[in-house]
Amino acid sequence: MSRRPALRAAVSVILAASFATTALTPAFAQRAVGARPDIATDEGGLWAQSDKAETEARSKAELNTDPALTAYVRGVSCKVAAEYCGEVRVYVMDRPYFNAQMAPNGYMEVWSGLLLRVRSESELAFVLGHETSHFAHGHSLAAWRDMKARANVGMFLMVAAGGGALGNLLYLGAVSGMFAFSREQEEDADQLGFGLATKAGYDPAAPATLWRALKAETASSDFEKVRKQDTRASIFATHPVTSDRIAALDKLAAGLPPAPAAEAERVRYRAAIRPHLAAWLADDLRRRDYGQTLHLIDRLAADGEDLGVLEFYKGEAYRRRRLDGDQDKALAAYVAASARPDAPVALWRELGDMQMKASAPDKARAAYETYLAKAVDAQDRWIVEASLKKINGTSGT
Amino acid sequence: MIARHLRTLAAVAALLTLTACVSIKAVPAGPYASGGHQVTLGKTWADFSPFSGAPKTVKLLTIDGPLLNRLYIIDGLKSGEFIVKPARKEQPTPTWRPGMTPVEQVEFVTDSVSALGYQRVETDELRPIKMGASDGLRVNIAAKTAGGLDIAGVAQLTEVGDRLYVILYLAPAEHYFGATQGEVEAVMNSARVAG
Repeated sequence: MSRRPALRAAVSVILAASFATTALTPAFAQRAVGARPDIATDEGGLWAQSDKAETEARSKAELNTDPALTAYVRGVSCKVAAEYCGEVRVYVMDRPYFNAQMAPNGYMEVWSGLLLRVRSESELAFVLGHETSHFAHGHSLAAWRDMKARANVGMFLMVAAGGGALGNLLYLGAVSGMFAFSREQEEDADQLGFGLATKAGYDPAAPATLWRALKAETASSDFEKVRKQDTRASIFATHPVTSDRIAALDKLAAGLPPAPAAEAERVRYRAAIRPHLAAWLADDLRRRDYGQTLHLIDRLAADGEDLGVLEFYKGEAYRRRRLDGDQDKALAAYVAASARPDAPVALWRELGDMQMKASAPDKARAAYETYLAKAVDAQDRWIVEASLKKINGTSGT
Repeated sequence: MIARHLRTLAAVAALLTLTACVSIKAVPAGPYASGGHQVTLGKTWADFSPFSGAPKTVKLLTIDGPLLNRLYIIDGLKSGEFIVKPARKEQPTPTWRPGMTPVEQVEFVTDSVSALGYQRVETDELRPIKMGASDGLRVNIAAKTAGGLDIAGVAQLTEVGDRLYVILYLAPAEHYFGATQGEVEAVMNSARVAG
């Protein structure tokens, strides 16, 4: 038997096994409020592991310990979780990626990269509703049982295939099967999360708006591979392509009236994240995908708020990217930020440095002097003072 | 995708084979060089570089193990070079560029510390130093491990002839940093560029 027909046969068997194991998993009914599984069951074991992970999360360096922010996010979570409010425990983690995750026991993480990209309380409510649905419908347990079933099928086929490259292919096929099932769960959670958020009075258009923004940000990435993620088709395509999710959410929202207080809750949301905006943007810059960061900043700036902070970090993105023309763009952004009362103090040092690079010593001097006046205790004062001395020495003033 | 995973498996297998051939070597007190970056060690260190996954320009020394103290002695970085190797093209790590301002140089080092996996990296007491005839910087570092352990550190940076020479020391703030701080300061004071 040649290798190619053998591979084709193996893939066919895997696909059949994948569908079979998916069919094995029953649709989970909504869990009873307050129910905790017996520790002797597989679900009880999952909960025990989640309890341990939750305990560890409380001492992680990335845990955001701002009580006001945590209380706000938990408050929104409670509104959408409704009867599960007492069981869902939300932790904000300062990680610059768009992610939220729900453990089987109700321990939920919301990452700062998600909070930075969510523009309104309605968008946040949808995400929290999505995660709550994973909990309320026992998706983790279903995924766990499927994973075990697929691992067993994969193991059997690998033994039958005698290992080697064919065995690896079989293994990878079995792994991809696990992800295929979670795709169904994600679609399910989108629908359920939409229901929870709209029932709590949030804007039905918000979920699709959020996915559209993410799709556009992905398309703005500096990296071709990231830009292609949206439409990439492979056996490891773990989530529905964003276009599908947008279409499904648009369909759900069609005909529903918009939320009456959409603007008020958008303003409330921005106020909640405002104290963290600068730190989260600085974290985002450390991902070094400046195309995405710049797109994100433009989206945040569209509301006309926090422009001093946003223009400063736009300048920072251009300064760090260092492509042709970026120096001029950074300078323009810094100058725009300097007209705003909420510009960070560091702006004036960066503006001075950039004016020096632009051969504008008088403007640099003004910026440096403003920095020294504002940053009384800054550790880098001596550097700025040396720059000023150099300017005054060379310009003769 | 499958090919990529197979390549990864092959790389891991190759790495396991290679690591069987290398060992941690003692570095005795006395002169030590990472390329053209020369220092004098006051006590015996261990060279952990073969296991660090770092570029060849980056030497990693330790006394009690890399989780308890790590001293990076980095040969002059050229334009576009980094302290931390990127795992993937889509996850680039900070690169050095000649002409960076002193504040950008510090940013390069602190971002590199973040790229090593440390969290909440902050600096304090930025101060000028001399390395031979060249002006440089020294700055204290505070960070946390992912698990929440407090880390203290100090970095020394000197740009000589369009190259950046870095010494970076990181250790748990409790006991380990203080226990080796004097030795590390003496190592930093001894640093010179060959030539």
